[in-house]
Amino acid sequence: MIWIGDVLVSHGEGGVYSERMLGNARVWDPFRSKLAALYHEGTGVEITADTRVLYLGAANGTTVSHVSDYADVVYAVEFAPRPMQDLLEVARRRKNIVPIMADATRPEQYAPLVETVDLLYQDVAQPDQATIAIRNSAFLRPGGKMILMLKTRSVDVRKEPGVVFEETVEALVSAGFVVQESLWLAPYHQDHAAIVCTKPDG
Amino acid sequence: MSRAIYGFIRARTPYLSTMRSYWFGDVEDGQCTPTGGDVLVTADRIRTIRTSMDSFSPLTWETAVACGACSDRADYIEKLRELCFAAAERDIREQYAGKDAELLQMVRTLDEMDTVINLLTERAVEWYQLRHPTFTRKYRRTPAPILVKNIREKTRGALSFVAGEIERLSATRTELAKAVSGRANEVMPNTSALIGGLVAARLMAHAGGLSDLSRMPASAIQVLGARTALFAHLRTKSPSPKHGIIFQHRRVHNAPRECRGKVARVLAGKLAIAARIDQYRGVADPVFLETAQARIDLAGKGNEP
Repeated sequence: MIWIGDVLVSHGEGGVYSERMLGNARVWDPFRSKLAALYHEGTGVEITADTRVLYLGAANGTTVSHVSDYADVVYAVEFAPRPMQDLLEVARRRKNIVPIMADATRPEQYAPLVETVDLLYQDVAQPDQATIAIRNSAFLRPGGKMILMLKTRSVDVRKEPGVVFEETVEALVSAGFVVQESLWLAPYHQDHAAIVCTKPDG
Repeated sequence: MSRAIYGFIRARTPYLSTMRSYWFGDVEDGQCTPTGGDVLVTADRIRTIRTSMDSFSPLTWETAVACGACSDRADYIEKLRELCFAAAERDIREQYAGKDAELLQMVRTLDEMDTVINLLTERAVEWYQLRHPTFTRKYRRTPAPILVKNIREKTRGALSFVAGEIERLSATRTELAKAVSGRANEVMPNTSALIGGLVAARLMAHAGGLSDLSRMPASAIQVLGARTALFAHLRTKSPSPKHGIIFQHRRVHNAPRECRGKVARVLAGKLAIAARIDQYRGVADPVFLETAQARIDLAGKGNEP
């Protein structure tokens, strides 16, 4: 990842969401993007020019635009029509984004479109996040990384965020994933956690 | 099983064959049938593909090249993007074409206008009080619109202008409310017949659309719009809310206090059915409506069967 001092940036065409620029680098704000917060608070996963990414919950394409600056190709999945309109506009100008309007809980909908990826990034604010991740890991190559952004309040408001966090980690571990890193994204995002794990070989 | 029999079964039963369908074509036993043709046709075809996620292995772009769908990886991504844009634009258009999409925006605008009008009225009254130190609203029941009218007439300059603007906003709001009600009667005839167009539209907006409302259980419809009370109930030991938006309907708020919860429950039950008829049939069902109305009236009288 590219840092200028302690500012995370990416190189690409600016003006996507009136982000701040440092010279010709686009500042990637950890308060706006959970992935940027992960790079600030933890280690995350290095995205390089040959990384293929499956991005679930692409929303308005804000974070997607930064990921696309780093990656080879980003398969951006989003379900809701309103954010999809914005995502299409971002994808129109970034030739390595493949925008897919589909439900991340039903990977069979986009199975005819998506190739094997090196990184699975999930930010979907759904109750059954571990299940969605496990189902979508069919696209992930053995040894590939998965980043799961857990909005604990979307899983179950009655449960303590910590409990939801532990349950999700457990679900991933019992599905065979090796958890590399798991942390809270405070102070950038409240009640949000990030889980980074690896899909085992073979 | 002998080879011949196995081969025969494989040829006859598609799920035993190794055929895989991708966006660029169908691959079977190393043989590829490219799709080709118009992107929109391909986009429609993708909807029909049923991929099993058991023992699933993703496609590779090399297959597409071998298939003749594209020349190299860059070309592969470009063609795939073209297809995905066409598919997404079609899906967005389809979703917005739903009859409830515009109604949703109308209701939300209406509710926001209410908020704005109330805020501005309150502010104008406070302002007016400064100019007229003897003015008070105590022991008077001047309705807000009359009050605003008085303020406009009795003052000059900016305050009068603001009051006039509030009046115009209120007029727009009245027109919009009529339009919402009319549209709701069209889009959700059964729900509207039970609870009135305006409240029906608000329920739909809160649920996020007619299809979302039609998938809700009655118990959720009953407390739709009472989120704070509901979560307070789930978290602590406070009593559960009896009603949310449906309280706005006279049947609920005019019911005697002791059977209000009962009316709300019965009404919500019938609304859940009505919403489903609206979603999947789209026309009023007089027989259903008659029995539903009778049942709700019965609950309002406090004598439940």
